[in-house]
Amino acid sequence: MIKDTLLVLFALAGAPLLGGFMAGIDRRITARLQARFGPPIMQPFYDVAKLFGKQMIVPNSWQVFCAYVYLVGAVLSVVLFFLQSDLLLIFFVQAVGAVFLVLGGMAVPSPYAQVGAQRELIQVLTYEPLLILVFVTIYSVTGSFKISAIYAHEAPLLKELPLIFIVLTYALTIKLRKSPFDFSTSHHGHQEIVKGVLTEHSGPILGLIEVGHWYETVLILGLCALFWATSPVGMIILITATYFAELIVDNAMARMTWRWMLGYVWSVGLAMSVINIIWLYAK
Amino acid sequence: MPSLLLFMCILVPIIAGVLCYLVRIGFARTLTVLVTGAVLTAGSLMLLGHGTFTYVPPSPWAGLVNTAITLADFALLAIMFGIARKHRSKLIMTLVVLQAVPLLFFELFMVDHGAPAPGFYGDNLSLIITLLVSIVGSLICVFALPYMQKHEAHLHLKRSRQPQFFFLLLIFLGAMNGLALSNNIAWLYFFFEVTTFCSFMLIGHDGTPIAVKNALRALWMNSLGGVAFVFGMIGAHHIAGTTDIQQIIASGPMGGALLVPLALLCLAGFTKSAQVPFQSWLLGAMVAPTPVSALLHSSTMVKAGVYVIFRFAPTFAGTFFSQGLAIVGSFTFLVTIALALGQRNGKKILAYSTISNLGLIIACAGINTPTALAAGILLIIFHAISKALLFLCVGTIEQEIGSRDIEDMRGLFAVKPRIAVITVIGIMTMLLPPFGVLISKWMAIEAASNNLPAVGMIAMGSALGFVVWGRWAGILMSASYKKGLKPEPMSAFVNGPLSVLAGGAVLFSLVLPWIYSLLVKPMLAFAPYQVHFGSLDSSIGGFTVIPIFLILAAGFVYALKQAQKTRARHVAPMYMSGVHSGGPDDETFRGPMNKIVQIETGNYYLTRLFGEERLTFWVNNVAVALLVLMMGGAL
Amino acid sequence: MIKDFIEKSRAKSPWMVHFDCGSCNGCDIETLACLTPIYDVERFGVVNVGNPKHADLLMVTGAVNHRNKHALKKIYDQMPDPKAVVAIGACGLSGGVFREAYNVVGGIDKVIPVDVYVYGCPPKPEAIIDGVVKAIETFKAKAREAA
Ligand code: SF4
Repeated sequence: MIKDTLLVLFALAGAPLLGGFMAGIDRRITARLQARFGPPIMQPFYDVAKLFGKQMIVPNSWQVFCAYVYLVGAVLSVVLFFLQSDLLLIFFVQAVGAVFLVLGGMAVPSPYAQVGAQRELIQVLTYEPLLILVFVTIYSVTGSFKISAIYAHEAPLLKELPLIFIVLTYALTIKLRKSPFDFSTSHHGHQEIVKGVLTEHSGPILGLIEVGHWYETVLILGLCALFWATSPVGMIILITATYFAELIVDNAMARMTWRWMLGYVWSVGLAMSVINIIWLYAK
Repeated sequence: MPSLLLFMCILVPIIAGVLCYLVRIGFARTLTVLVTGAVLTAGSLMLLGHGTFTYVPPSPWAGLVNTAITLADFALLAIMFGIARKHRSKLIMTLVVLQAVPLLFFELFMVDHGAPAPGFYGDNLSLIITLLVSIVGSLICVFALPYMQKHEAHLHLKRSRQPQFFFLLLIFLGAMNGLALSNNIAWLYFFFEVTTFCSFMLIGHDGTPIAVKNALRALWMNSLGGVAFVFGMIGAHHIAGTTDIQQIIASGPMGGALLVPLALLCLAGFTKSAQVPFQSWLLGAMVAPTPVSALLHSSTMVKAGVYVIFRFAPTFAGTFFSQGLAIVGSFTFLVTIALALGQRNGKKILAYSTISNLGLIIACAGINTPTALAAGILLIIFHAISKALLFLCVGTIEQEIGSRDIEDMRGLFAVKPRIAVITVIGIMTMLLPPFGVLISKWMAIEAASNNLPAVGMIAMGSALGFVVWGRWAGILMSASYKKGLKPEPMSAFVNGPLSVLAGGAVLFSLVLPWIYSLLVKPMLAFAPYQVHFGSLDSSIGGFTVIPIFLILAAGFVYALKQAQKTRARHVAPMYMSGVHSGGPDDETFRGPMNKIVQIETGNYYLTRLFGEERLTFWVNNVAVALLVLMMGGAL
Repeated sequence: MIKDFIEKSRAKSPWMVHFDCGSCNGCDIETLACLTPIYDVERFGVVNVGNPKHADLLMVTGAVNHRNKHALKKIYDQMPDPKAVVAIGACGLSGGVFREAYNVVGGIDKVIPVDVYVYGCPPKPEAIIDGVVKAIETFKAKAREAA
């Protein structure tokens, strides 16, 4: 019970710190890759604090509602993750956040936000089946959807599910909105639809979304870490390597279209899942 | 005791229907419908309280009922034949003859009329169906009262056709209850045919050429199901030697012999549940007035099909046929929701989503483990509530704004906030945790996780569903800020059913663990989930229903509180590159030559990928191939 | 403490939106040059956001004309407080060489209040960065005013 309480507290307080910190490192490394110096590591925290200090302007009250629910969904999914509950449950709870992010974007008749929201929907459409397949294959290895079963499993999942891990990183790239999949909104300055789904969010409301995004980052990196759950060092190595690869891809790739994404990620993702599963049964 | 309750559930609606037909006074009709609704609700609840029962009417009555039903059977077939002749449909005539002749043979030469006829049987499955039919169905009938008035005012009819409409509606409810509760397969067939007939009449109610065409399509497809049913029934009787459904089930599980008749019965269920390739009749059904679509799609007609499949599911557990059922079901789940994605007609989206969910329910029956069956039954319950709600919402919206195109519902919140919010609630209950439909879907995925093709299709289907529902909810709320927005007035007969259904969809999700342990668990071979602290838990997974419900509810309330703090001074117009014109609630910009241009936005419908005309051909062909494979597996 | 952190963050995270009122593009190039690896204003947390609703700083180049003064005003109005405006280049200050043209209104401050004027034709990137720093200093006073 005490352990659980501590875990919940850590999830509530630690996850955003970790997520913000990751975002800071992200910006720093990205800058370095572009031969720039980059902002301080603390920059994401400054940004969010500033946003909370700004005047509140919104297009309507529904957007405020959506932003809060998005945050609640993201936080709850991280808490469930730390409590080692059911993977599918975690996934569905984060879907609450995802849908309300879209609804918040669609709340405004603005064309930029609308297009962004539609693209966000396509992004969800692309990664959702892959994530479910990842969880199902994890189940077929560990015999349970619970995260605790992964810890109980003696070999790292990576050994048995290498291709599934790659499928997961596709979902990760989409979820983190990195190139080539950053068309609903991007973390870089300009894009063709202003700031996509987040165009109409501003000030404190944008701050909420940003914090929610930190939680989501932690969740998705945590999922990656599960593939080497046998050793803490392994987890850290895996996260670091994945995240770094993510950044390289982000900087080396151009933004593609959603049609390409849907076709490419579904076909490659499904193919890799099937190959991995056949290999699993053949062994 | 059961005799009275059975009377309340089956005969009262039929008598009330006749009353509606004969007494052509609006007020009397309203009263009849309300009283029938109350009686049905009370009857079904008391029946539930009574628990599992077997009831055979005392000796002279049992035979009389049996004879009456048999005679009614042939009368019904004769009427259908007449209809077919009137419309010069050779196909339907053939199908009716194909039912009538074997049925005559069956009644004359096979059934031992001397033996005591089986009567009624109620276990939790049939009680759940009865409950849904009685309560959700009654709510829809109540909703239909003001709806039909408006509908007819719109059509400028000389002579009201409402008596006939409510006659059919109420008979439909009685027939559905009869279908769920009878233990005699011949009676089951009779009620099955009554629902076919009623749905034909109701779809064609408006009498427009398109309505007649679609009604005839519904009739021939369901008659095909009827033919399958007759042959399945004869086969089952031939092997099990009885018309008693419980005994037929008890004589299973057996691999070969009984499988063919069972497969035929399942095929009948497929047509009734409008599974691909039989989906077109249900899509056509939406030409009927909205209460009909709500009734056909949510609690009744289509649920009759899955009821039959679930009833016989234990007998074919573990067979190749069962696996085929799982694949066909999940295929339907995937392709029909993909078809929904290409649609902008609100009713069509709902229709496709209904077929899709029924596909998932059938897939659960095919997987046939206790977990899967639990998922299927929960889905039957929660889908009925949410879908009835959504249909009534679309009907209300259609009467308010004169369109069922979801693009026309853009920004409905700023015009009709009440119905917009109720619709969004309905959509959320279809899509998100902690609501029942999603929890059943979660259970279904966990149950399907050993069947890779099935789980893959379910995963993709649920992602497509996310887009379908997400964009619709988004459209409804896509409105600029309006100061002092007040909920629009609504008649009590509209508001009542909507509120009850919306409240039910939410609250029943909260008590889902108890629904599971009280209603669903006793039906299963073993309990897949333990319930403690309001959570469903097993070794392969767990869903903390109540805690998540409470936390999310608290989050919702807090978010609502924050949103309510919004004042006009917070509101700024949208960003339009600095050329936005007018105030915050204007959706215009200053274009070339200083012209004011209205902003227009639209959803992605991906018609190039998921368009109806593009996909349907392939879907139907694959579905036929899969069906043939599945039936072949039974042989 | 939280208040102090927010105050500090304001200075550390000025997001800018760049509005070109019809400059000869000289000033625009210099403004964007600030983002390049040589000057790298992201070191100070500056992000070029392309959307007034996210921005703290409005960087305006070029002379205002009768057509785009509405757009300039709208964009300024859509920025949430506290915000600051930097007018860049001779044109932004006064209309510059275009001042006499029939369609030109004049400097930016004819339409919206300007906090910092960066002169030059075009100004050097260093000068623009100096202007940004000056504009950030006005935030504190503005936030106090707003509160
Ligand atoms: S100030 Fe000079 S460089 Fe800048 S816009 Fe005017 S003319 Fe061009």
